[in-house]
Order: sequence, then C-alpha cells, then structure tokens
Amino acid sequence: MSSSSMMMMMAAGGGGGGGGRGGGGGGGRSWPSTTSVSASGKRIQKEMTELSMDPPPDCSAGPKGDNLYHWVATLFGPPGTPYEGGIFFLDITFPSDYPFKPPKVVFKTRIYHCNVDSAGNVSLDILKDGWSPALTISKVLVALRSIFTNPDAYKPLVPGIAHLYLADRSKHDELAAEWTLRFAR
Amino acid sequence: MLNAEYPSKSPQNPSEKQPETTENGPKNENLFSPRFRSVAAMAGWDEEALLIASLIVEDTPDRQFKHKKRSDLQSFRTPPTNSRRKRKAQRRSTPSIPVAVLDLDEDDPKPKQESENIHKESKTDTTGEVEKDRGDDGVNSNGVSSSSAAIPCIDRLREELSCAICLEICYEPSTTSCGHSFCKVCLRSAADKCGKKCPKCRQLISNGRYCTVNTVLWNTIQLLFPQEVEARKGAAVSASDKQQPLQGTPARTRSHSSRNRAVEALNSRESESRGAERRIHSSRNRAVEALNSPESESRGVERRSHRARSRVSRPSGGDAGIRTALPSQNEDAALALRLQREEFMEAFRVPEQQRRSSFAVARANLRAMASRAMNIRIRGRKD
Repeated sequence: MSSSSMMMMMAAGGGGGGGGRGGGGGGGRSWPSTTSVSASGKRIQKEMTELSMDPPPDCSAGPKGDNLYHWVATLFGPPGTPYEGGIFFLDITFPSDYPFKPPKVVFKTRIYHCNVDSAGNVSLDILKDGWSPALTISKVLVALRSIFTNPDAYKPLVPGIAHLYLADRSKHDELAAEWTLRFAR
Repeated sequence: MLNAEYPSKSPQNPSEKQPETTENGPKNENLFSPRFRSVAAMAGWDEEALLIASLIVEDTPDRQFKHKKRSDLQSFRTPPTNSRRKRKAQRRSTPSIPVAVLDLDEDDPKPKQESENIHKESKTDTTGEVEKDRGDDGVNSNGVSSSSAAIPCIDRLREELSCAICLEICYEPSTTSCGHSFCKVCLRSAADKCGKKCPKCRQLISNGRYCTVNTVLWNTIQLLFPQEVEARKGAAVSASDKQQPLQGTPARTRSHSSRNRAVEALNSRESESRGAERRIHSSRNRAVEALNSPESESRGVERRSHRARSRVSRPSGGDAGIRTALPSQNEDAALALRLQREEFMEAFRVPEQQRRSSFAVARANLRAMASRAMNIRIRGRKD
C-alpha cells in the first residue's frame, strides 16, 4: 500500500469520524471534531498497521477505498472443510463510536453455511451482544474462520442448513463444497 | 576508570562544589547538596559511586529528576546519540575503553535481547530518526528518547502497558477488580456504552471502582513512555480547548470526563511551572484552584470571547445572575485553560506597566468565576 493512499485514507477518516463522537454523546454536533478522529479513527489506524505487520493466518483486511471506516476482508476456506479452496470476501463497516460498538460484517461471497444467510449477514455472538471493546478485527477474523470449521448449528441463521448439518453431515458438506466451487472461486 | 573522561568531578577540590562554577557541573550539582557532598568526601565516597548508587536506589517516581541524571550520565561519556545502532557502533569502534559500567540499561546481560535486536533494529532506527528531529529542542526530550530506546524489550513493555480499548499506552490507567487495566477514560466510556463488564474478561466491574487511577502503574508508564504520555496530555488539553465553543449542546455526561481531564491537566501544568506560587490550598475544590491560579493575567481579559466578556461586566458578587445563567462546567475549565495559556504568552511580551492596569479587572473577574464554580459545586452536591 503506497503512502499516498494512506494519506488519503487518513484524510477521509477525518470526515467520516465527524459525526461519530456526536452520536455517542447526544448528537447535534455538525462540525468536524478532531477528537472524534482520535477516538475511533486512531484506533482503526492502529489496527490497520497491526494487521499489516502481523496478519492472522489465511486472512487479510484493509480499507476498501479512501474511507477508513469501510474495510474489505478476505478469508480463505480452511483446509479440511468443505470451504477449502474458496476465497470469501467480506465487507466490514466500522461504526463511528467503533471500539465501543461492534463492526458490521457482511459476507459478499455467497456461502452455504448455517450461520450466514443469503444476504451475507453473519450470526456471530461477538459481533452482537458479545462484543467487547477489547476485541479487534483480527480477532473477529479468527472467530469467523472458526465458524468455517465449527458451524454453530444451535444458533443458526438459516435453520434449514443447520438441520441438514445435524441430520446428514455428509450431504451438508457436499452441498457446501459445491457452493464453494460455484461462488467462491 | 571513569575519571579520565570525567575529571572535573573529584571530591578533592572543594572549589567546584558551588553551582555555576563549572560548565558541565551545575546539572550534577543539583543532585547532591554541598553539605552532603562534603560529608561524602570525608567518608571517602567518590562522586561516581554516589551517582551510581543514586541511580540504583532511586525508587521515587520523579520523572524529570531521573531523566536529568540519565542524560547527564550519557553526556559525559559521549555526545548523546539517539539511535541505538549508532551508539552500538561507537562502542564497538572504541573497544579499548572498558567503561560501560554506567550504562545500566543497555548492558543488562539479556540473551533474549540479542535475538530481538535484529528485527528490532529497523524499528528503533526509524523511531530514533524521528526522535532526533524532535530532540533538538532540549536536553529533556533528548533524555526521553534515549531512555525509551535503551530499555530492553521496550516493545514487549509497550504491548503490555497499552490499553486494549484505544490500543495506545494507557493514560491514567485504572484497574478493574478482576485485575485488568485500561485508560480511565476508555474504561469509563466502555462501562457507559457496553455495560459494566470488564472488556477483557467480562466480569462485572464493581460500581465506581473503575474511576480510580492505579498510581503505581501510572507512574511506571510515565517513567517508561514520557513522550506518549506528553502527547496524550497535549491532546487532552487541546480537545478540551476545542470543546469550548460548544455551548448549548446537552452533552453533560461526555463533557464531564473531558472536563475532569482538562482540570487535571491544568493542575499538573500549574504545579510544574508555578507550584510555589499557589495561594489557595483547598484540596476540596480543584476547579477553583485552577481558576484562581492565573491571577496575574493581563490582556487575556480583552481577548476573550463575547460570552465571557458579558461575564466581566457583571458585578463580582452577582449571585442571582449566576444562578440563572449557570454555564457549563466544561466551559469554565476550558476558559481557565485559555486564561492560563494567554498568561504564559503575555508573561514574555507585556511590560510591567500595562500589566498593572488591567490587574484589578482580571482579579475581580476571576473571583466571580471562582465563586460561581463554588456555587455549581454546592448545587451539584445538593442534587
């Protein structure tokens, strides 16, 4: 990533963060405040540098364009699962009061998985009620990778797939591999 | 063996005991009182032994003091360089001098450090470059940079001492009952926005406990990472300054924390520069203290915002008007900060005569502000 594009991201991050702190503290502020950038933007930047220096295995993530609050991530289907060989793209959107509210993660690649619905929404505890400000994107990516290997069939987003997963595992795996071949390659 | 490089410091010639007599002396002279020095000379302790002992024994978290000593120690060995590689190279190039005794930090025989050095080299080098650019403005920052570059496994320490919420070095760390530490501000907003659970382990945080600063940890962080702490202190101050124009918004809960920080920053700054001049010692009302301190400010009065000027015209004892207006405390803190800043600036520019003329006005005005701040406090307590 070139340094000039980094600079652009930082600048855009300032604009994006403008409303952010206001949203946390009562709203009604319209001017771009530098403090808001330092709160969420700074943290996102830190995560970005950390990810580029020490990325989790088979994952990558970074800002999509010039907006620091909008990332795209890729996950490689872990070997030994029906998702092996697939490359799954995700959209990550950071809220303006980011570390205190979870990022929104959406699968852009279709996947046959009981915890991911057809719109790409993910049911993952740490992205909802289980979120903690001490979690980072790299931890979220690791958690997402773990639901590839261990789908949570007891809290499904698509009950049909979960049912099949519990009842006929081999059929489920076959279908999932077929979807991976069709959509994720 | 150090005497060769440090010849002026021998206990035998008492003429050098007075400060200001030697060129590189005065900084060191401050460390020991002349009386102590003479006693030490009688006891047969030489100066380096005392210096080394004071470095080792030191356990008070007085930051500036330590840096002074450190930078002194470096300055009489070689001219201080910031990058670790350079210093290493220098040591290698002069292998005949077996000194290195005073270099307590670097010569800690840690085998791990050697292996880390290789991949750390590039990092410390770049930071060293940056710090060198910055380090021109004084001995203090120079000492800072060299100390943070010299301590082994500083990266591990940085990781350990950073807040999991903002991912920076903990600023005023407070420790939860489960033993995890975060910036006080981070932890408070986490408790406000995400429920009273520890962000790390999700145990319940006991009520109010998370507002206290872990002093030992905080002092340690200030010692280890003075630059980061200073940077964040500055950020906090400027943030509160920026918030000043915000008047009508009902951002009470948020402004509360930032206000506290602003007042604290004010107080610390005050105690650094003019702690001796403090007049009011009420520990109960810190806001008043902060407000009262810039009593000698002069032209700041004229330059203040329109709103503040309307306050000036008010009589100093006008309690009724104050009751009705009741401006936010945040604003007060920011105003006090500005006053103090302007005072600092004016102190170097304005001749003494001009100063006297507006002195009375400023004084009356500040009294009014102080009494209003008291009122707000009392009110808050009643509610």
